[in-house]
Amino acid sequence: MLQHDNDVGRKGPSRRGLLTAAGVMATAAGASALLSGCGAARASGNTLQFWNFYAPQQTPDPAVKRQAQWFIDLVDAWNAGHETQIELVYVPQSTYTNGFKLPSAFAAGSGPDIFLLSPGDFLRYYNGGVLTDLTPYVDREVIDDYGDNLDSRTVDGKVYALPMEVEPLALYYSVDAWEAAGLSEGDIPTTWDQLLDVGDRLRTDTRAGLVFETNPGYYQNFTWYPFLWQGGGEVLDRDGNVAFDSRATRQALQLWKDAVEHGIAPRTLPAAGDVISAFRGGNVAIWQQGIWQVSSFRSYAPDFRYGVFKLPVPPGGEYTTALGGWSFCANSLGRNPEVAAEFCGWALGRMTEECIDRMVSWCTEAKSDVAPRLTALERGAAAGGYDFWAMKKFRDEIAPGGRAEPRYPPVVYKAISDAIQGTMLAGRGVDSEAERAAQSIEAYTRSYEGASLV
Amino acid sequence: MTTSTTTRAVAVPRPAAKGRRRRLSRKHREWVAAGLFLAPDAIGLLIFVALPMVLSILLSFYQVSGFGSYTWVGLGNYERMMHDPLFWDSMRITGIYVLVLVPVLFCVSLGLGLLIKQRLPGLAAYRTALFLPYVISLVVVGQLWKFMLDDQTGLVNRTLRAAGFEGRSWLGDPDLALGSVIAVTVWVMMGYYMIIFLAGLQDIPKEYYEAARIDGAGPWTSFRRITWPLLRPTSFFVLLMSTVAALTGGLDLVFVLTNGGPANGTSLAIFYIYQQAFGFGEFGYAAAMGSFLVLIMVAFSALIFALTRGGRFDHDD
Repeated sequence: MLQHDNDVGRKGPSRRGLLTAAGVMATAAGASALLSGCGAARASGNTLQFWNFYAPQQTPDPAVKRQAQWFIDLVDAWNAGHETQIELVYVPQSTYTNGFKLPSAFAAGSGPDIFLLSPGDFLRYYNGGVLTDLTPYVDREVIDDYGDNLDSRTVDGKVYALPMEVEPLALYYSVDAWEAAGLSEGDIPTTWDQLLDVGDRLRTDTRAGLVFETNPGYYQNFTWYPFLWQGGGEVLDRDGNVAFDSRATRQALQLWKDAVEHGIAPRTLPAAGDVISAFRGGNVAIWQQGIWQVSSFRSYAPDFRYGVFKLPVPPGGEYTTALGGWSFCANSLGRNPEVAAEFCGWALGRMTEECIDRMVSWCTEAKSDVAPRLTALERGAAAGGYDFWAMKKFRDEIAPGGRAEPRYPPVVYKAISDAIQGTMLAGRGVDSEAERAAQSIEAYTRSYEGASLV
Repeated sequence: MTTSTTTRAVAVPRPAAKGRRRRLSRKHREWVAAGLFLAPDAIGLLIFVALPMVLSILLSFYQVSGFGSYTWVGLGNYERMMHDPLFWDSMRITGIYVLVLVPVLFCVSLGLGLLIKQRLPGLAAYRTALFLPYVISLVVVGQLWKFMLDDQTGLVNRTLRAAGFEGRSWLGDPDLALGSVIAVTVWVMMGYYMIIFLAGLQDIPKEYYEAARIDGAGPWTSFRRITWPLLRPTSFFVLLMSTVAALTGGLDLVFVLTNGGPANGTSLAIFYIYQQAFGFGEFGYAAAMGSFLVLIMVAFSALIFALTRGGRFDHDD
């Protein structure tokens, strides 16, 4: 009370007044921080965001550094000549693919203006209505230049994604392991039986003879499709009818099942999936991988002696492989879809020297890929980009005859994935799994509404 | 004091309006102060927990494309859930996970709590070592154990082989993978619950043990007659928290260790819900399954409350 009395004669702000003012300021500061945080999800002003899993990032990996720099150079070149600027936003690949970042952003209505998309995700995004038609922004000759490589990104003759690379699958092997097992070049398997036989001879307690992908996911399906196709199998036929329950499906499932059950292929990936470490550590003899590993070997194990061979075929089968690779897309619900599409066209869809050189640089210097455009492939070859024996092999022997990764939606993917996992790792019968998966796909396709699944 | 106030009132007359202003009683001022102190947390809970929960329940009645399109489907998502064998398989796996993890975690944590309560040399280091896994990122833990459990070169299989046993595929065999995930989870969580148990054990007066010893009670009798009954509130807390954590957690480790495989062998309900939402863009369906899981969690919590009487002692009744 006395203190209260003493306050009476005090001049200036009271304690309560100060506390109130501080409270208001703190609230204002908190609110502005929150609001600015919300705003950060989208680019501000005259800038579009390009979400990707390459740049900008700090990394000791020389290969990833080259790839990050390619993206930075690309955006710098655009920004130097255009009013609307592009800002690169790096999203780690584990969160980008099969993660929450991109789906959450689109679900919240704040998807990136430009983004990278794999064939496995294409239909979901197309059916969601977020892909801009890129056809008007691509030179007409470029459509022909891409050839078949645009098929899985096209709906009703319109292009909705521009591939930046083609990534075929093959089998890598350790030459040292090969020689130690008394094998020679002549023992390179050309049939499935030979593959299992060689894998069996190469395996030891600490070395996997033959590695197929074991983790469930889009990638595992992608690596299994060639074995299905080689026997003439399909998930859906040309008319979109379910064709999964077939002899070809069962023999492809049986191949992976046999490899695991006989101990030739491991149930988990060696070295937690680190391919180069596993080869260098002598923990694997043969591993099904893509062309991108050429670049990884070049960076991390330039002296390691490895070989590459085409996927073997079943009796009476025909060679093929799966061709993966990512594409540039523009968000039709973004801040400026026209400029975003213009950027995609400018980056990959022009017949200009600069545009072709850019693709050559990505596929032969930054990464190790087959260029999806014929002109870029030829120019890359002329510039020596495919002189290295492994690159030459991929371009001349492995990629020809390959098929683009299918664009099946999640329910179809999941049905196939469960069949692969069930037979390969749980020892279930191939007949029942093929039938069950076919029924799931059939049930889904009956009520499916959207762009063609094939 | 009364005089002083009166004097001041006379000396400095207040304007009529101010003089009429009703002042809060001490009790009310305390209520206001308490409210202000609680407000930040309450508002945070409201915005970041209660509101999303309500929105999630609302979302479960819609088919969501993941691209801004919402279609009212009523109970359609719940009906789909009832007929989804993969969801029920994930619920079965979650049931096994909870029923094995919670008792094992409880026993191991209690055992460690009893152990580190003893006066042992180097106890601080031992206690820190046991607690350390809990503060490590689960992604790091997952990667670490992925290497340890590797089929060919993992430390576990190398040790087994050195001892003359055959190595196993701990994460690649559907019969072993869930057990491996549970073992890693126990390894991560035991330090945390050990500390909780230790706090509970230290609350028990030493005099009780001394009196029991004088009466001739051995360690087992002391545990059974003194420790166990007096730990009831702590045990209740550990049981409740670990059950809730087991029902709704485990996503991080499963994501890194097995990605739900092999053959959906570690596809916990929470993982399946995550996969449907973020992998397949089925946000409405995922919300329906999430709401159902919350119901299950509430039922489990109520059951634990009922069985343990909320951790109360007998004399509290």
